[in-house]
Amino acid sequence: MSDSAESPTETQKEEPQPPSDDSAANEEKKKIDVLLKAVGDTPIMKTKKWAVDRGRTVQSLAQFILRFLKIDANEQLFIYVNQSFAPSPDQEVGVLFDCFGSDGKLILHYCKSQAWG
Amino acid sequence: YEDEDNRKKRLLLPRVSYLTLVTDKVKKHFLKVMKQEDMEEMWFEYEGTPLKWHYPIGVLFDLHASNTVLPWSITVHFKNFPDRDLLRCPSHSVIEAHFMSSIKEADALKHKSQVVNDMQKKDHKQLWMGLQNDKFDQFWAMNRKLMEYPTEEGGFRYIPFRIYQTMSDRPFIQKLFRPVSPEGNTHTLGSLLKEMYPAAIPNEVCPDDFQKRYQVVIHGIEPLLETPLQWLSEHLSHPDNFLHICIVPTPTD
Repeated sequence: MSDSAESPTETQKEEPQPPSDDSAANEEKKKIDVLLKAVGDTPIMKTKKWAVDRGRTVQSLAQFILRFLKIDANEQLFIYVNQSFAPSPDQEVGVLFDCFGSDGKLILHYCKSQAWG
Repeated sequence: YEDEDNRKKRLLLPRVSYLTLVTDKVKKHFLKVMKQEDMEEMWFEYEGTPLKWHYPIGVLFDLHASNTVLPWSITVHFKNFPDRDLLRCPSHSVIEAHFMSSIKEADALKHKSQVVNDMQKKDHKQLWMGLQNDKFDQFWAMNRKLMEYPTEEGGFRYIPFRIYQTMSDRPFIQKLFRPVSPEGNTHTLGSLLKEMYPAAIPNEVCPDDFQKRYQVVIHGIEPLLETPLQWLSEHLSHPDNFLHICIVPTPTD
């Protein structure tokens, strides 16, 4: 799967959002809030909260985390939803947010080794 | 049976399984006409579209070839693996991991993961072995637990479903949808589609004008739109516990 060159944006930056054009109004936001939590002795991200494009894949997000943590891109990273299942690498984060998001965000746990099978 | 032409191999493939799980014979067959060192990871393609091994075979067929003449002619490749389109599948354990994750995701929707988490590791293994070895009873001894729900609820918490359509830019539609409305009305296949893909159901405004542009296909058949969604989820889900629904253009001949 190809890695998107665009990185998620940090939500902590206070940038005024331009009002959205009514004719292009979408019921769904184009970006969703993701909270990244480390499992076990996997390094913790200094920035945990990110605004991610809905169409971004789990695999692409995993590659971003590896780059951000300066871990070798060939290392494996396991991503989990609800601390219970590992979504398919080609799954879109927008779908995961719709189905498993809570309090306006999607919490994902990441780990260098298998955590919840 | 084998064709005399060694460039072809005929197989009967189970709808509910996965391409890379049931095609070891294919690789063996082509070893007769190719050198092992020339063969990289095997992958499958139909009319230019790489076939995703992690989708159930029946879904791939209904989506890409439902109204074509059998046998379904799939091209096998041993080079130029399309990493942009397909996931790698180096071993059966990758298929097992994917299958179990799908079951866990489905149970997260149906039961907040309570049923699948209460199962032991050997129960999970039994689900996989039942699929891998095509043992219906072995599979269902465990799967029936995933199909139960508290009587007072009237159904699962949410229905695990995916709606596929070849003309779409998205891989599939998957959202939260309850089997029963807050007022207590039973949701049907029709009510699901009305919410998720209204173009596939008769137009309420001009019902007489309606020309059925799309077929709504599950396991190769078109269930009545009045069918309760809870029933479909219990009886027509795939072994991964998802209801996979294909929307395909009605043939115009």
